[in-house]
Amino acid sequence: MKRNGIFFWIGATLFLAAALLMTQVIGNQYPFFACYVILQFIVLAVAWSILGGYAGYVNFGTSAFFGMGVYTAVFLLKAFDAPLAAQIAAAAAVGALMGFALGLLTLRMQGIFFSIATIAATIVIETSITNWRYVGGSAGIQLQRPMVTEPFNNYVQMLFFIQALLVVLAVAISRYIQNSWIGRGLQAIKDDELAAECTGVPTLRLKLLACVISGALMCAAGAPAAMYLQYADPSSAFNLNYSVSVLAMSLIGGTAHWAGPVVGAILLGATQQLLTVTISSEVNVLVLGVMLVLFVVAAPEGIIGLIRRVLRNRSEGKE
Amino acid sequence: MKRRTLFGGVIAVAMVGLTSGVVAQQPPIKIGMSMPQTGGLAGGGKASLLGIEIWRDDVNAKGGLLGRKVELVVYDDKSSASETPAIYSKLLDVDKVDLLFAPYATVPTAPLMPMVKQRGLLLMGNFSFQVNSKVQHDMWFNNAPWGPPDSWPDSFLDIAQKAGAKSVAFLSADQEFAQNLVVIAREVAKKRNMPIVFDQAYPPNTVEFSSIVRALKAAKPDVVYVSSYPPDSAGILRAVNEVGIGDNVKVFGGGMVGLQFGAVMENMGSLLNGVVNYNSWLPEPKMYYEGTKEFFDKYTKRAVEAKVDPLGYYLAPFGYASGQLVEAAVKAVGSLDQKAMAKYLHEHEMQTIVGPMTFGPDGERKENAVLQAQFRGITDKNIEQFRSSGKQVILFPEKLKSGDLVTPFEAARN
Repeated sequence: MKRNGIFFWIGATLFLAAALLMTQVIGNQYPFFACYVILQFIVLAVAWSILGGYAGYVNFGTSAFFGMGVYTAVFLLKAFDAPLAAQIAAAAAVGALMGFALGLLTLRMQGIFFSIATIAATIVIETSITNWRYVGGSAGIQLQRPMVTEPFNNYVQMLFFIQALLVVLAVAISRYIQNSWIGRGLQAIKDDELAAECTGVPTLRLKLLACVISGALMCAAGAPAAMYLQYADPSSAFNLNYSVSVLAMSLIGGTAHWAGPVVGAILLGATQQLLTVTISSEVNVLVLGVMLVLFVVAAPEGIIGLIRRVLRNRSEGKE
Repeated sequence: MKRRTLFGGVIAVAMVGLTSGVVAQQPPIKIGMSMPQTGGLAGGGKASLLGIEIWRDDVNAKGGLLGRKVELVVYDDKSSASETPAIYSKLLDVDKVDLLFAPYATVPTAPLMPMVKQRGLLLMGNFSFQVNSKVQHDMWFNNAPWGPPDSWPDSFLDIAQKAGAKSVAFLSADQEFAQNLVVIAREVAKKRNMPIVFDQAYPPNTVEFSSIVRALKAAKPDVVYVSSYPPDSAGILRAVNEVGIGDNVKVFGGGMVGLQFGAVMENMGSLLNGVVNYNSWLPEPKMYYEGTKEFFDKYTKRAVEAKVDPLGYYLAPFGYASGQLVEAAVKAVGSLDQKAMAKYLHEHEMQTIVGPMTFGPDGERKENAVLQAQFRGITDKNIEQFRSSGKQVILFPEKLKSGDLVTPFEAARN
């Protein structure tokens, strides 16, 4: 277990070092634009999986959290000219609050009813932002990027590295939860909430914690998107695509292990980026759906589940 | 058998050598863009792209630009703002395109403006609205006929005021384009001393409008300015047909998106009669310039294959015109120097198939060329009727006028 931890942190450090090196070596902008989107989806998928995977509460409101992250950043930028770090921190705080509210919802709602409530929350929040003229309202708002800080020589490269930091943070948190009493408690809730409650698992407290962490990470992932696009409008920020893609990524990757959403997000995110610049038509929308159906039918536990099964079969074969 | 294979191989190699010898003299000029081909803006995006493709084929048939073939590099942006930055980065940094066209509409274009400004690039705009007002990029040229922002609602309210209208009602979709319009329209109404007796924004997904139209009718306005999107435009007209709008209303319409698209027009049929609405191009006699007729002959044929709007009046000729602007600028400058091209476009009146264009310092058209036209004598389920003149009578601008307003609205409906 401990050796695992060391390997994980070595891997994370190597990943960050590689990301930093990329920003210093590669002059071409496109890889940063494309990878930024993939990294953003990793954070979202990992965050979604904390509630949706471990606890089994399927949240369709990813776009609500993401959009709130975007608009928290927009508001802070417009009102106080706040720096990027403050935008992300504030977005995380807003996301935590939103997550807390969402957690309270789970008191009364489970399963499909919870999912529907999260969609409703998305619509309510989007409508409110649409009618708030200060942050651009329905017409959207254009933003000016400040000067880039050293050692980066380009803003998108900096955003790429910041998103890489968020990935490490999200994965570390998700991994910690999975391996700790929190994860075991959430697992118990997923299997049978009533039984868990009866055996002394503090279900409400755990659900609230999962919602708060998940919400904070999703909002934090959304905050840099305002500067990435230099534009924000409600229909793009609260696009239901985020909810659907993130759900698909987590399910395709597998929700039982922290690595599942990471693998799913890399696979689907990269495929989407690739399709956008190759086939580039209705087909790329279809691919997501087809992949989801295929995985649900052929590998209901995702890629991670598939790998586990293969490993198990192999070890059984040896014996 | 072996000898034959060898012989075939030799011929094949020779052929490749010959053809590549001709083509490889000059690499093509690459024009890059994203275009909404899926999502809400796809209908317009595809028609617009077909217009640009027809221009590409025309210019290549004439020998290309600077002796080089023109090639389009197009990606789908899914009608979303979040896709375009990565796509344009790919176009510039990987595909190394020579020139950029903007995608159709405001939302996908907005994130590009700071990018092209930072890199000092020419961007040919495609029907976005006031997207350059904050960024102030001096190498941006919008092909849309909008002109100065207030001129559009102004022409509509002018027509209404001349018909004796005093009070005004606003009905608008709570969405980007519609809200931009109505905000300006309110100011114009204030300037013209027209009291606003009704002002309501409805959520974008509204389908049932009869209660809203009833409330509007009760306010007894003289003119109703509607800024709506395709599905709601249809819903509003259906509700007006059911509930009626009252005898006070002299002019109805203004900024209804959707009533320019063949499929919607065919669907609405006689419900369109009497509506005065904005448009960009219409088959009225004064609208034909050099090449306009030839363009629509080609478009009509290719639209069937491409499965896009069979009429294609609203966007397609303007896509072609964007190409013409670039073509003229490249020829005049004699190179692909984008600064020089921008300077040329700023300083000269450009001739296109949708008429002459001049650009203000902000890259928008100097003069408002948005048509206001009234639907007349439309019958149900017949798309071909819209190809003939007289079905949409142009009331504004004065020099293109093809008839007079029929008022009040209830009388014009029959």
